[in-house]
Amino acid sequence: MLKKDLILRNPLRLLGNERETILSPGGFGAILARAGVGKTSLMVQLALNSLLNSRNVLHISMNDPVKKVSLWYDEVFRHIAEKYQLSQMDQLWEAILPHRFIMTFKVEGFSVPKLEERLTDLTEQSIFFPNMIIIDGLPFSEDARDLLQDLKQLALKHALHVWFSVRTHRHESAESNSDGVPTSFQEVADLFEVLIGLQPEGEEIHVRVLKGGNPDRDHRGLRLDPATMLIMDVADKAAAI
Amino acid sequence: MKSDILKVRNIGISAHIDAGKTTLTERILFYTKRIHAIHDVKGKDGIGATMDSMELEKERGITIASAATYCEWRDHEINIIDTPGHVDFTIEVERSLRVLDGAILVLCSVGGVQSQSITVDQQMKRYKVPCIAFVNKCDRSGANPTRVIAQIREKLGHNAVAMQLPIGLEADFQGVVDLVKMKAVYFDGENGEAVRWEAIPENLVGEANRQREILIDSAAMFSDELTEAALEDSVTEELLIAAIRKATLTRELTPVFLGSAYKNKGVQPLLDAVTDLLPCPADVENQALDMDNQETPVRLVPDTTRPVVALAFKLEDGQYGQLTYIRVYQGNLTKGDTIINVRTQKKVKVGRLARMHADQMEEINRIPAGFIGALFGIDCASGDTFVSPGLSLTMTSMYVPKPVISLAIVPEDHKAEINMSKALNRFTKEDPTFKAFVDEETGETIISGMGELHLDVYVERMRREYKAGVTTGMPRVAYRETITQMAEFNYTHKKQTGGAGQYGRVAGYMEPTSEEDFIFENKVVGGSIPTQYIPACEKGFRNCLAKGPKLEFPVTGIKIVINDGASHSVDSSDMAFQAAARGAFLEGYAKAKPVIQEPIMKVVVETPTEFQGPVMGSLNQRRGIIVGSQDEGVMCVIEAQIPLSEMFGYSTVLRSLTQGKAQFTMEFFNYKTVPASITEEIIRKAQEEKKHVA
Repeated sequence: MLKKDLILRNPLRLLGNERETILSPGGFGAILARAGVGKTSLMVQLALNSLLNSRNVLHISMNDPVKKVSLWYDEVFRHIAEKYQLSQMDQLWEAILPHRFIMTFKVEGFSVPKLEERLTDLTEQSIFFPNMIIIDGLPFSEDARDLLQDLKQLALKHALHVWFSVRTHRHESAESNSDGVPTSFQEVADLFEVLIGLQPEGEEIHVRVLKGGNPDRDHRGLRLDPATMLIMDVADKAAAI
Repeated sequence: MKSDILKVRNIGISAHIDAGKTTLTERILFYTKRIHAIHDVKGKDGIGATMDSMELEKERGITIASAATYCEWRDHEINIIDTPGHVDFTIEVERSLRVLDGAILVLCSVGGVQSQSITVDQQMKRYKVPCIAFVNKCDRSGANPTRVIAQIREKLGHNAVAMQLPIGLEADFQGVVDLVKMKAVYFDGENGEAVRWEAIPENLVGEANRQREILIDSAAMFSDELTEAALEDSVTEELLIAAIRKATLTRELTPVFLGSAYKNKGVQPLLDAVTDLLPCPADVENQALDMDNQETPVRLVPDTTRPVVALAFKLEDGQYGQLTYIRVYQGNLTKGDTIINVRTQKKVKVGRLARMHADQMEEINRIPAGFIGALFGIDCASGDTFVSPGLSLTMTSMYVPKPVISLAIVPEDHKAEINMSKALNRFTKEDPTFKAFVDEETGETIISGMGELHLDVYVERMRREYKAGVTTGMPRVAYRETITQMAEFNYTHKKQTGGAGQYGRVAGYMEPTSEEDFIFENKVVGGSIPTQYIPACEKGFRNCLAKGPKLEFPVTGIKIVINDGASHSVDSSDMAFQAAARGAFLEGYAKAKPVIQEPIMKVVVETPTEFQGPVMGSLNQRRGIIVGSQDEGVMCVIEAQIPLSEMFGYSTVLRSLTQGKAQFTMEFFNYKTVPASITEEIIRKAQEEKKHVA
């Protein structure tokens, strides 16, 4: 199967427009879920989607080592390859790998000036120019707003968009507003264009668009496959049957 | 010789290069009275450290071969394997870890957990070797044991806990506070041999109490008895040690000791810890594979009454002739016994047995289960298993990576040629990652191995130990060829030039495969190629693999299927079909889009953060893919995948870029297709070389 077919069949397209990106330059998106529900997996799928479009992804992980992040990509890519029966998996993998760069920081050591310094290291020497940043594991504490605003400036400057993972807690689901956004996150929610929630229901994990996304598309059938953690559209499945 | 297995410790000392493990071993041997004078590693006094018995090791200040030695401490017998710290010699490290029961992980109190410590730790994890850590060089400026302990937790993921507190640091380092005995220890005398126990200095009492609390809390997680005692405030030394030992054996706790081997401080308490905390052979479960029973794992019992199972883990050709280092896992290996080499199925009579102390030896009559010793005059390879007649067990075989770099060597004269062949014969037996062969075309002897330094050391050893002067060519990368698409062939070999003719037609297809280097499948039906000529066809194809048609590199990852052909009742022969297969191969190969592949190395650079930019630039220039960078506070770790051919001389570049503050390790990762522009370059070079040879 060709790269193009893989992109077309990717259920992530339901989240965005015809273009491959869901967010506009400088835009923020977040995936909200409890621990272990599949935030990182969905983030990696968003990243792989971008990589398949030959768009560079800078994956920033807090606390996890580079090796562990790489393993996530290996694993998700392997599942995708199996699902779509990719024949030349190795070649495709080698082709997309140069478009990815992993940076890991300690939570306490992370700051926007530091990230900017690292980015300059990469861009000045023409090593890597990210089109998209993924930030996994950033704690959304009370002072997060300042940091996010600085990040927004950085994103606008470099014309890139940023996806965050947001860890919610069990008790928060009861405290959510009518859109399903947890109250603790509401203070910064205005900075985000798109919010996606992952909600386990019985054996299934529902993918809910809490804010933004393409209103013309029907997202109701989006799920994470509990076996592979890959996003799927149950409507597609029903149609196939 | 003792035979109480509870009082035996087989330990290794592993660390990053220059963390000071050879110095530490030297001090251990001195305090256990195995040697009577202390020598420096770098041989300033012209003698060199005892464990570095090869001249080359003394000169370079590095340990290459893992010499095994033993010593006694507090009525315990300790067998020490000194392991090399450089990544090029990891096969040696892995082989040593296979026979160890426990290890001391030596870390530099300034450098902390460095990249090589991580590699060594991963190896220890793989072989489930329990360890204690020793933070060395506490007398150095910039020493910070607390930071190192934090790094052991963060970078290695160990549950590290301090067993001692330093009394002073850097130039003021005087001794340590023992948090179990709650006493201060000082090391007096010219060589620190007189251990003086004192009350804890007043200014350290508060901190010592706090650290002891932490130690007790950590250990109490693994012992209910200790938890109870802690609640009743009646923790005894024995109880605390027992709990720490229990957790150390399961790798759930890593006790950390401090000192400065060079300044003779902290070594004796470390030896106490080896006997108190590290396992005896009976504490460790070892398994062998039953060859008669589909390699089912069998548990070995360190019982001297059972049949013998032993592993030859190192060969050495020294002043006493061929020496085989052996670890006995089960039974009692006695002089005069007959044992069987499982690999060759040859019977061997046990002649002289010895215990080694670096390059000196002591003859013994038996090696009981759990002990390490050496055999004389036995012909075997490293990694062979020996058993009593009637058993068919083999110790788990170890993964041996294929060499990635080669070098042509030419002996300087006839005498050197003879010595060189002796040396190569020995080295290839000692080290499975080192290979040697003669290039049929150029007549040159080619040696290949895992890195520049790896080959460099063997060339030097040839010169020094075997008096074989050789000149070396430029290092060559082990490129290989493969095909990328399916292609058909249909080739007729016909020759009629007087006398018996030659006739054979071979048809079929070839396709890429990732399963094996070469697969041959015969799908000929109806006898279009008579059965007796099929092996000749396979041979013909196989002979083409050694030198690929594209650039004469070995061809790998190819599947050949033959499905049709023709023969002649008089003119067909093995020779004719071999030639037909050769022709068919060339025909198909040209259509199958052949490519050149090159070895890609996983390169990990550890650098102070301020040099991150230049280091990344240097990696990027080398056609590398930078996988990522990891922030570690003042240091950062950059991981990249880079073609081996671009890495020659990188150590010099890195040194000048970072004022010598960065380090890197490199190991084989995989083979990847060479980009078209580089292929042209390789073709040009190959043609130049050919002209040169002609």
